[in-house]
Amino acid sequence: MRPRTVKMWRDLSAARGRVAVMILAITVAMSGVGALLIARTVIVREAEAVYAGTNPASATLEVEGGVDAALLAQVRARPGVTDAVARQTVLTRVRVGDQWRRMLLFVIAPDDPMRVAKLRMESGAWPPADGELLMERTAGPVLDAAVGDRLAVAGPSGATTEVRIAGTVYDAALAPAGQESVGYGYLTPAGLARLGFTASADELRIVTAERDEATVAATATGVAAWLTNQGREVHLIQVPPYQHPHHSQSETITGMFLAFAIAALVLAGVLVAATLGAMLAAQTRQIGIMKTVGATTGQLLRVYLGAVAAIAATATVLAVVPALLAGYGLTGLVAEMLNVEITNRATPWWAPAAFFAVGLVVPLAVALVPLVRAARITVRSALDEHGAGTRVGTRRGDRWLTRLRGGRLSALALRNLLRRRGRLALTLALLAAGGAMFTSGLNSSAAWRSWVDDGMARRAYDAQLRLAAPASVDTITRAASVVDGVIAVEPFVSLPATPASADGQIEVERTYPDDGHGRFLLAALPVPTRMVDFEVTAGRWLQAADTDGVVLNQSAVSRLGDPRVGDEVHLAVDGVVGRWRLVGTVAEAGGPATAYTSPQSVTRFVDPGTANMLHIVTAGDTAAVTGAVEGALTSAGLTVGESMLTEDLRTAIDEHVAIFIGTLLALAALMAAVGILGLAATMSITVTQRTREYGIMQAIGARPTVIRRMVVLEGTVTGLLGSLVAISLGVPLSILVGELLGRISFGLPLPLRLSPGGLVGWLLLSIVAAAAASLVAAHRAARLTVRETLTYQ
Amino acid sequence: MIRVHDLAKTYPMPGGEFPALTGVDISVEAGEFVAVVGRSGSGKTTLLNLLAGIDRPTAGQIRVAGIALHEVPEARLAAWRGRAVGLVFQFFQLLPTLTVAENVMLPMDFCGTVPARRRRPLALELLSRVGIADHADKVPAGLSGGQQQRAAIARALANDPPVILADEPTGNLDSSTAEAVLGLFRDLARAGKAVVMVTHERDLSGYADRLVTLVDGRVAEDVAVSA
Repeated sequence: MRPRTVKMWRDLSAARGRVAVMILAITVAMSGVGALLIARTVIVREAEAVYAGTNPASATLEVEGGVDAALLAQVRARPGVTDAVARQTVLTRVRVGDQWRRMLLFVIAPDDPMRVAKLRMESGAWPPADGELLMERTAGPVLDAAVGDRLAVAGPSGATTEVRIAGTVYDAALAPAGQESVGYGYLTPAGLARLGFTASADELRIVTAERDEATVAATATGVAAWLTNQGREVHLIQVPPYQHPHHSQSETITGMFLAFAIAALVLAGVLVAATLGAMLAAQTRQIGIMKTVGATTGQLLRVYLGAVAAIAATATVLAVVPALLAGYGLTGLVAEMLNVEITNRATPWWAPAAFFAVGLVVPLAVALVPLVRAARITVRSALDEHGAGTRVGTRRGDRWLTRLRGGRLSALALRNLLRRRGRLALTLALLAAGGAMFTSGLNSSAAWRSWVDDGMARRAYDAQLRLAAPASVDTITRAASVVDGVIAVEPFVSLPATPASADGQIEVERTYPDDGHGRFLLAALPVPTRMVDFEVTAGRWLQAADTDGVVLNQSAVSRLGDPRVGDEVHLAVDGVVGRWRLVGTVAEAGGPATAYTSPQSVTRFVDPGTANMLHIVTAGDTAAVTGAVEGALTSAGLTVGESMLTEDLRTAIDEHVAIFIGTLLALAALMAAVGILGLAATMSITVTQRTREYGIMQAIGARPTVIRRMVVLEGTVTGLLGSLVAISLGVPLSILVGELLGRISFGLPLPLRLSPGGLVGWLLLSIVAAAAASLVAAHRAARLTVRETLTYQ
Repeated sequence: MIRVHDLAKTYPMPGGEFPALTGVDISVEAGEFVAVVGRSGSGKTTLLNLLAGIDRPTAGQIRVAGIALHEVPEARLAAWRGRAVGLVFQFFQLLPTLTVAENVMLPMDFCGTVPARRRRPLALELLSRVGIADHADKVPAGLSGGQQQRAAIARALANDPPVILADEPTGNLDSSTAEAVLGLFRDLARAGKAVVMVTHERDLSGYADRLVTLVDGRVAEDVAVSA
């Protein structure tokens, strides 16, 4: 082996501790990079594959009166349509123990060819008998039931009918049942009729030859126009994106996390650069000697880049196993969250190549600058390096250092800290970057919780109930108010609505036909209402005089094409298009796109003085009180179609992003680890480089304890300064992350919330780590004899 | 081999310019052993650094081993230095993590003057020439000061340079070891090398051919040393 290579290996071997820290930092960061690379590539591909595998409808048209076989055959013959089926979806509820749960029934005719929106049978067979249904495989825990069990499913009158679970299916186009707090069942029209519902296949699902949205929308609109000409009323046209409902969220969030992990890698690269830079600074004279015997800058640079490459390669190889474990663990969690079955766990061919390239290139790129600087030092400068900082005081900016006052020890510690300002800046940058990412992770998590807490707090009601048909407000109020534990009752109207255009045409919606993603409600609340107090983001909330005023939540604003306050808003209810004036917008945590209006503006859809929903405020056991209210309403001759506790809504919201918040926190911890490792490494180097100086101090009478105290003080101040910079930088970073997370989750940026635990934790962590790293190095230095320290090179 | 004409070097200092060398004229021929003496601060090391291309002159001309150093860019000097000049320092400056033999092989490696398979035999031959072949595979810390300086001289000879420059090579050695080192330099000069040594040694008779005395950056005396 060439002597220069031998030297490199021996130098690395002699600095085993530091090399271990560098390798550890890159390994930790690369584990994150690899894990997210695996999760992102596998999930995105598999989600696409399973969704495409269901042959989802290109468009769904809601046709009044349903679609029979003859009409279906005509639709299949329409230009651009390659296939069509008619289905029905009914939202009802099911009795689970002493509670009601929401239940979505997907009604499919026995002769449905099952070519569109396909299901995969997991157990049992299609079609089920009239008294049976098939259950989506994720619905078991929600329904607390398994194959063979009987479900008490409510019919339109509220009366329950027992239905046997004959098997399970996998419906890849649906979010997991637990996440939506809803049970999914599949049955035939005869099975639905047995429950008391009218079977009417009113969802016309068409598949088009071309999948691009413009062509699909044009074809769907053409079919709708044709149906209208045939005298059929089309209420809704849905053209969902040709991808899994959670595809873009998963892609954006995993992309953001991947960026975080790469930032951690850059941080680790900076750590390597700082550590190597310091090791090279300690070897300055050796560099000078090598140059005197003929080494060129390029030769030395290649030697040191070789060292970085060796460190980076070792770390990247070490990161393979943790990356695989964490990556497939995360993939499993996200897949479960998306109800995506992973059939192929292999990463694309370029992923391992990208992993190794990133693991090598990023540390090398970051280390290049300090290495070039070290290698380019002139022979004379290198040979003049004596290790006791003889150049300090010669620069213009150094003079003010001498003005630093305080105790003898603190003044010396502060002057030492500030005299190598480049090194200090690097240490602070390392600490600040790690800390900023750590605190922004915790801040974003706090902002998320705060947003949801605040959103929930703005709902004064504990439960909402939906009646099967509108009833008198007085009847509802009287029946519910007498129940023990009910503090307040507020009936209101809530109707499914569809965005419409100014000329009254039903607009094509870019939403999914799963009754969860893409629901739009028109809610007529009493004005003023005691039940909600949403944050107004523009304009104002409803006033008693607003006969045609409407307030939209952020999802509704987005669905209606971002109208401004004062604009006219058009919505269709049961095919009847209404016009409203937008008076304000609100931020609402959870819930579908909703337009809030006053009771008098919906009298064209429901009789005045009637309502089909009620909010209740309870005391004590909300579930029990809600059950009692249902009983009271039933006793009053009303049928309850659905009830939902506010705490269940909270659970559904949390379930949607629990894994992402968990990943964000894990990445924050990863950043903290790399930042603290960097701090420890640079503090240790800083102290070690002054070994000769400590020898001089000991030679003139300083006791080891004094030196240790001085060094620890210097480390503590560094930790404190770094934390303050980190906390400051964490604020804009938190805003950025909150903007992205909030927009993906709620359609609005998350508010800035500072996590006190995160801030104090980081402050303490960095100070303690800095002090500890300094102390260890100082202890090592103090153990050397004066003679040893004076000859230290 | 060495031609220095009207050489000047000044350093910028907080209190103004400091002239380290002024109007220096020196010539050293191949086979000549020249000792440069003078008090601390007289400019001895500055002169040596200029001759080695480690420092750049403020004015004047320096030609060493056929190269006009004042005209050559810094980037080219390293390779030239490795081939043309052997440097020896007071504190030996061996690389601590390499063995003695590896230290000697290092200039061959950087300059590519010797094929890889011939480097170790040549290093052992050079170490044998300076009398420490038995210590070839030890690290420098395991050697005495005199042995380390001999290793440093062997390293200076690795690429068979025509010029040997030594900066107080005996300053850190006891008197008998210092004499042995001086003897080595004398032998190198006899073998045709141009040897320039900065030293505080007073009695150089029997070793050096000429004695150049510097006072305040100027050549005060340039005389032959009587045997």
